[in-house]
Amino acid sequence: MFSQRCALVSAGMLLGCALTPGAGRADEPKPTPENTIHIQLAAPVPPQKFVKAPKFFISEVIDRSGNPQPMLVLRERGGVFLDRQPTEIAREAIEQSLKSAGLLAADAASADLVLQVYVFHFGLAQGSGLDFFGKVEFSVMVKNVKTEESQQIQAAGTSIANAAMRKKNIQKNVQANIEGALEDAVKNLVRGTQLKEAVASLMKDSPSAPPAASNGDMAVVIGDRQGQWQQGGGKR
Amino acid sequence: MRRGEKMRLLTIALVATLMVAPRLAAKDPEGIYKTVEAKHFTRVEGVELSPAFTDYLYAELRSELGKTKLFVQVVGEGEAVEDADTANSVVIEGVITEFTKGNRATDAILGGYGVGARSLKIDVNVTRRSDKQDLGAVKAHVRVSPRMNEEVMAKAAAHQIAHEIKKELKDKAKG
Repeated sequence: MFSQRCALVSAGMLLGCALTPGAGRADEPKPTPENTIHIQLAAPVPPQKFVKAPKFFISEVIDRSGNPQPMLVLRERGGVFLDRQPTEIAREAIEQSLKSAGLLAADAASADLVLQVYVFHFGLAQGSGLDFFGKVEFSVMVKNVKTEESQQIQAAGTSIANAAMRKKNIQKNVQANIEGALEDAVKNLVRGTQLKEAVASLMKDSPSAPPAASNGDMAVVIGDRQGQWQQGGGKR
Repeated sequence: MRRGEKMRLLTIALVATLMVAPRLAAKDPEGIYKTVEAKHFTRVEGVELSPAFTDYLYAELRSELGKTKLFVQVVGEGEAVEDADTANSVVIEGVITEFTKGNRATDAILGGYGVGARSLKIDVNVTRRSDKQDLGAVKAHVRVSPRMNEEVMAKAAAHQIAHEIKKELKDKAKG
């Protein structure tokens, strides 16, 4: 008799839970000033040296992550939110780094190459659970505005940070982790051989075009164009 | 100074030397190589692991390589390195040669004997950046319980690879 009553009460509770609207969304985190983090580069990433420094302009940054909540980086423990859209953060980081080396044009008209950035991943990715795995992935379309030629390059950054128990530490570690991954991705972009090769290929017809660099090595110009050569990598 | 005091001072000096000297001798060499570049590991046909696994393994390996303190800088895949540093830089490439998912039921019964465990085998090659000279080959074999996710296995593999590479390169540096 008693067990029958228990079963009935349990069934009633289950039915109640199932029929209550929004019961499943009870722990959906909401952004508050306490759980919102600000992501930015600690310092601009110095780009690689180009033989003839081109001027870049970032036309647009598009979110291609397919994430319906791009600003929510961690759902657990009340959530951790970004204070800005990932596209905005990515644009600021790339522009800041290009500007630090004088490679940023004021507008598209004065630029040699226009960059269209697609953000494929920004934030945390699935890790072992023993630490936080930060990942930032870009795909960049580099376009020569004069010749209309374009080339696509990839850049990715990762960062591993310790997991934490306290909410305050979780937030601190997540912030440091995403900032690390962002810095790594920007570094991978502005110091990558893919960008070097794209610049060399897209600006080959320009008046003083840089020579194509070998794999991963810095190009050095000695004398005029006749005397250009590449050092390193055994390719001279 | 009395003889007793002299003896005491000598004893203190001897104990201090015995404590400090082995630590100095055993201290790992730091920053032998300027840069290290770990590439994403490839997989042989038939290895069923997600691209996310390879990404995580890459990230963990870079993190573990940084912890070895053998390298001044851990650069990302495809990043340019200064010409002056290429002779003192290494590139790490690897192939995931085998992966078995394991068996939860067998692991629950005979898990203590390593039966039914998830297994991952990776062949890693370390080369000098400038002339592609072979600096060593490392074979990693990791076994974890099938109850753990794949990323735990990647973490263990990265730790093992970094440890083996450190050993290999330290031996090489000693000549």
